[in-house]
Amino acid sequence: MIQFDHVNFSYTGEQPVLQDLSFHIREGEQVGLIGANGAGKSTLMKAVLGLVYPQQGRILADGIPVEPANLAQIRKSLGYVLQDSDQQMFMPTVLDDMIFGPVNYGLAKAEAVKKAEETLASLHIEHLKDRYNHRISGGEKRMAAIATILTMEPKVMLMDEPSSSLDPRNRRNLIRALKTIPVTKLIAAHDLDLILDTCTRVLLLSGGRIAADGPAEEILRDRKLLEDNGLELPLSIGGRSGQ
Amino acid sequence: MDQLAARSSMIHNMTPLSKLWIAVFYILVTVSFHKYDISGLFVMVLFPLLGYQLSYIPVLTCFHKLRVVMPLVCAVGLLNPFYDRQILLTVGTVGISAGVISMLTLMMKGVFCLMMSFLLVATTGITGICSALRQIRCPEVITTLLLLTYRYISLLLEEVSTMTTAYHLRAPGQKGIRMSAWGSFLGQLILRSMDRAQGLYESMMLRGFHGEFHSAAENKGPRAVSAAVSVICSICVLACRWYNIPALLNSLVMF
Repeated sequence: MIQFDHVNFSYTGEQPVLQDLSFHIREGEQVGLIGANGAGKSTLMKAVLGLVYPQQGRILADGIPVEPANLAQIRKSLGYVLQDSDQQMFMPTVLDDMIFGPVNYGLAKAEAVKKAEETLASLHIEHLKDRYNHRISGGEKRMAAIATILTMEPKVMLMDEPSSSLDPRNRRNLIRALKTIPVTKLIAAHDLDLILDTCTRVLLLSGGRIAADGPAEEILRDRKLLEDNGLELPLSIGGRSGQ
Repeated sequence: MDQLAARSSMIHNMTPLSKLWIAVFYILVTVSFHKYDISGLFVMVLFPLLGYQLSYIPVLTCFHKLRVVMPLVCAVGLLNPFYDRQILLTVGTVGISAGVISMLTLMMKGVFCLMMSFLLVATTGITGICSALRQIRCPEVITTLLLLTYRYISLLLEEVSTMTTAYHLRAPGQKGIRMSAWGSFLGQLILRSMDRAQGLYESMMLRGFHGEFHSAAENKGPRAVSAAVSVICSICVLACRWYNIPALLNSLVMF
């Protein structure tokens, strides 16, 4: 679904952000993207979506090269949940926001509304349908933001810090929802417990390179590997117990 | 404004194109009144007032929301009394100059047009107005600019609010923002707003945005009714322009 071949990227031309990055995410995989601040997680996501272009290397999304000419086709099959839900929810109501993508991609408004209602029901947030975006809580907004992307029926979901600004209950709801969404997922997060709960594979980025790529259970239990790369064990595995 | 536009009433249920037509026609006719035709102009206030009544939006809401703009509109023509001193009419022994009349006319025109514009936005929403503009072949670049400006303005205001709060929390007892801080304050505001606007734009692009915003809300009223209402309104507006209704009523009473 997503393939990076020797990708190099730098914003300024001097300090590399992604260095010789190669990996392959297959259909149906749930991949966690972890790394310390500045490791290149968000840039990697942006590169998949064609928001930035690598200076070297090649990226394939759903088998299509990420190039300006293919962006419309690629973006139709990728759903990106931004870290800041306020940037994601720009229409007046939740429903307006949910039909925004499908209608833009040619679906009739009535069908888009029906699909939005089904998505809200699947996430158990039907009550948000006609609510104003500026009147809902942070947790509700996060769930609504995920719903806006799901309505587009993407083949791959990319999520940047999905649990940020969520209280424990909403975080649990989010994890429950993520487990039920049957699409390929790439989740970038500092919340390693969330990654442990929702992902089967982990890519550990450090200084724009892949420091580790393997099963989530294995990598997230490797204290030395995590600490060498500016991270800590997930709390559920015993993080901070040694401090 | 979005909340006002989402309400339901006879006016809300009309098609955006009909409402746009009525508002634009009303504004054109209102500004076409002669600068001394104050009595004829008085009648024009009835249209926005009727609109506010039928849409269940209090007129005070309009004046409250436009409290910053209204004084500016009223300031237009303030110098007229100094330049146009010819006495046009006398009330008792007090002579009223043409400048005063033209100043009042200008103020009334401005206020009436603002009331009608507010009514249009409050009952249609910016998305509806832009879809109506697109129907009359308005260039997409203009409607997109309107829509994006509307979306970005809220971001700008949010940033202003956040930065002002942050400033005041670290400058207790200080009134306003110190002159020396304005440069960096405005610079930061622009940078932060640009960052947020960029994020929002990327979010729109990733969901296939190509110049149109679609609202889930549908206009419930039939198109034929909307068209009929707009024709009747246009005829009434024109009648008020051609005939001085207060003068006609006065002559009827005198007769």
